[in-house]
Amino acid sequence: MTDAITAKGLKVHFQTAAGLVRAVDGVDLSVQRGAFHGIVGESGCGKTTLARALIGLQTATEGQVSIFGRDRADWAKADRKGFARAVQFIFQDPLGSMSRRQTVGQTLEEPLQIHGLGDRTARRARVQELLDLVALPATVLDRLPRSLSGGQRQRVAIARALALSPQLLICDEPLSALDVSVRAQIVNLFARLQAQLGLTIVIVAHDLAIVREVCSAVTVMYLGRVAEEGAAKPLFADPAHPYSQALLSAVPSPDPRTEATRARILLQGDPPSPRNPPPGCRFSTRCPVVEPQCRAAEPVLRGVAHGGAAACHLAGASVHAMI
Amino acid sequence: MKNWPWAILAPATIFVLIGIFSPWLMTHNPAAQDYAALLEGPSWSHWLGTDYLGRDMFSRIIGGARTSLVAMVFVLVAALAIGVVIGSFAGYVGGKTELVLISMIDIALALPSLVIALALMGVFSGANFDWMSDYWKMIVALTLAWWANYARMSRAVVVAELQQPYIEAARVMGASHIWIFTRHILPHVLGLVVVYASADAGALVLAIATLSFLGLGVAPPTPEWGQMLVDGMSYIEENTALVIIPGLALTAVVVSFNLLGEAFALQKVPRAVRGRFLARKKAARAAEETARNEVEA
Amino acid sequence: MNAIYEVQGLVIDLYTPTVSVRAVDGAGFHVAPGETLAIVGESGSGKTVMTLGPLGLLPEGVAVDLRGTARADGKDILAMTPADLSRLRGGFFGVIFQDPMSALNPMLKIGPQLARQAQVYAGLSAEAAKREAVSLLARSGIPDPEDRYDRYPHELSGGMLQRAMIALALAARPRVLIADEPTTALDATVQAQILALIRQIQKEDGIAVILITHDIGAVSVLADRVAVLYAGQVAEEGSAMDVLTAPVHPYTRGLLASVPDFRSETASGTKEIPGIPPNQAQLVPGCRFADRCDQVQPQCHRRRPRLQTVGTGALPHRVACPVVIAAEGIVTHD
Repeated sequence: MTDAITAKGLKVHFQTAAGLVRAVDGVDLSVQRGAFHGIVGESGCGKTTLARALIGLQTATEGQVSIFGRDRADWAKADRKGFARAVQFIFQDPLGSMSRRQTVGQTLEEPLQIHGLGDRTARRARVQELLDLVALPATVLDRLPRSLSGGQRQRVAIARALALSPQLLICDEPLSALDVSVRAQIVNLFARLQAQLGLTIVIVAHDLAIVREVCSAVTVMYLGRVAEEGAAKPLFADPAHPYSQALLSAVPSPDPRTEATRARILLQGDPPSPRNPPPGCRFSTRCPVVEPQCRAAEPVLRGVAHGGAAACHLAGASVHAMI
Repeated sequence: MKNWPWAILAPATIFVLIGIFSPWLMTHNPAAQDYAALLEGPSWSHWLGTDYLGRDMFSRIIGGARTSLVAMVFVLVAALAIGVVIGSFAGYVGGKTELVLISMIDIALALPSLVIALALMGVFSGANFDWMSDYWKMIVALTLAWWANYARMSRAVVVAELQQPYIEAARVMGASHIWIFTRHILPHVLGLVVVYASADAGALVLAIATLSFLGLGVAPPTPEWGQMLVDGMSYIEENTALVIIPGLALTAVVVSFNLLGEAFALQKVPRAVRGRFLARKKAARAAEETARNEVEA
Repeated sequence: MNAIYEVQGLVIDLYTPTVSVRAVDGAGFHVAPGETLAIVGESGSGKTVMTLGPLGLLPEGVAVDLRGTARADGKDILAMTPADLSRLRGGFFGVIFQDPMSALNPMLKIGPQLARQAQVYAGLSAEAAKREAVSLLARSGIPDPEDRYDRYPHELSGGMLQRAMIALALAARPRVLIADEPTTALDATVQAQILALIRQIQKEDGIAVILITHDIGAVSVLADRVAVLYAGQVAEEGSAMDVLTAPVHPYTRGLLASVPDFRSETASGTKEIPGIPPNQAQLVPGCRFADRCDQVQPQCHRRRPRLQTVGTGALPHRVACPVVIAAEGIVTHD
């Protein structure tokens, strides 16, 4: 069974007035069918650019993306509408991603109208189905997006993305704009929809605790490249890459007892800019266990203890560097 | 618009109504000359008196309203159409095409509209254009002088809207460019441009009158306020009404459209939140609070 | 209680031409020097309005009706003239906002902005103020502070800007530092650094810190005491240990259950609170959480729950939910 997504050597470079920004700089990714795949990392790591490149909102400078076995660029060119029916996208800002002059009902009907799916009655019925899927009451149909709460808006965005019954859903930080308790609602919704509809979901997120909770697989990015990847729970339990370790250590626990006693790794300084990545391993400038070989050569992904892979010279299959 | 006082909308509406129903409102034929009643003051038969050829002033004023209205509508519709198309196209397509179109628009905007119209009227006075009546020459000249501003506004709206995430979202859904433009962008463009045009109408009426005043517009005996003004100037010592009446009419129409435009613009400014407003809101809230306290007691 | 900033019985109504909102509905808090109070709540809880409102920092273009009492260092700040209040805001309180770009003037270099604060409010000479500014930048963890003194805000990264804003807040030698969602816009590693910085500053200067946030992780790192707000009312308050590890109010429990903890052994799934956030425009009798609560009783819609003291710790633990208190046989000490 082919993977849902296979990306090889993906690069996205921007030429700006200040120089070349290597937002995504050589990423190999594979997302299995039915997976709930999280992509995590900090600002400048390129995760949003990667997500947009996967669906084609961003043209790749180099590299190739295959979705369900078909080359994405060819597919989108040959059959744009067919592609839209297979792959959909959720934006970070739910309010901005909907027309502010359209009611919820019109917003939900729009994809059906674009693709000429059914007559008025059929479309109305489908819209009602979508509302049921995301647990929204029919009263929202006549309302404008700005009168809805953040959680409701995101549900509408999700419902709209599902209108065409896609098999793959790519989400760019869908939880960041939401309140803490609403995040739980939306994340549970995703999990439920995945089980119900057999979706493959790729989610770009920076809430690591939630990613660990719901994702089946995780890719950790640093400065345009993949630092570590693997099944979520094993990776979080035993991260091999020093950056992953630092990242996880930086996430506080809601329990003050844990907070008071746990050991913390505090990195110095800010992440370097994707404009001029350091030579060799990109994390070498901040890595607490850096060695000379790290500055000399860029590491490649190798198998590690938890079953996935990490791009670190010091992360062998059986033993890895610990900060 | 529901909340606006009647006073804002009334004058402009009255002007439009007069223009539409003018044939039925006129008491006399505005072109009918009566040498027996020259330069008379107001009377029962001639409500606003007569002009130097014995024509009824009241009917001529009403007739002038229609002339101005018709010309204004033609010019606005044409200028809007040309401006919106060129501006939207420039904004949507971008790139070198946009640069070329922007340059055209900027050149057209660099000169005052009236100057462009005058220059064009000069061009149209050549022999090649004899097939057009003066009236149509004026309309074409004004249209070509007026479209650039609407083009600039349309392009600005298109460029701003295209940056919004929901446009990207529509592309992801598989929407074609035509779909996105007609369903999402055009309404925004029209919303802005039509509002501006309604305020612009007053300036346009004045421009029409100016061209006629300079002898470059409507030909007699069609009544037109600018024309009436220039005619009346020769007789200013004998009967100032010939100048005052069309002048007042012009002033009234321009002011009324200006008020309309201002009202649209002011809608965006937040109203005062002091004084009586606060007191009213506090009182309402106090009432709600008492009601709640009763339930909780 | 030697509270340096305390607010009681605060009711704040905000009015615009289209909507009337009761942002704060009879809430209060207090914070003592050397103590960190976290005010926790989600959108619509009123946490920012409650803390910054008495200082006059309310949204523009909105008519405000503020009632209650508010004291800073024992003085009644609601009775102050705008000029006095402005001096108070500058010198007594330091405020850190979520967006550092909005705190720093983009047209001026960073150093002079800090130096001016020190000059005006801490009464330092121009020379001394400049030295103070550099030392504050260094203290906030900005490398090469002499160089950064002469830089403009746009030349700094997000994390550095946040530190510059902290330095700016400290320049006037405030007694109370209010941090409004200081970590929400930051990356995880930078968040950890900023939280550590705030804690260090507090230990060194003995100032009071109020942390306004909905990030439970930040609360557990920094807070000594926590107040949980819902719909403009205090649902629960007490020591951080009590509230975060032994919550009583159903909202607090629901909130904490919806935040996963990947370090805990016990299952910490993402259990959601059903329903939608409260509508602040309406005045609803009874408990505002009633229609989302799994412990709801008929009385909840009629009687507004009062805060009752439970537990026997050094810091009082107060809960506004008679239903749970009764159901679990919790002893109250009022």
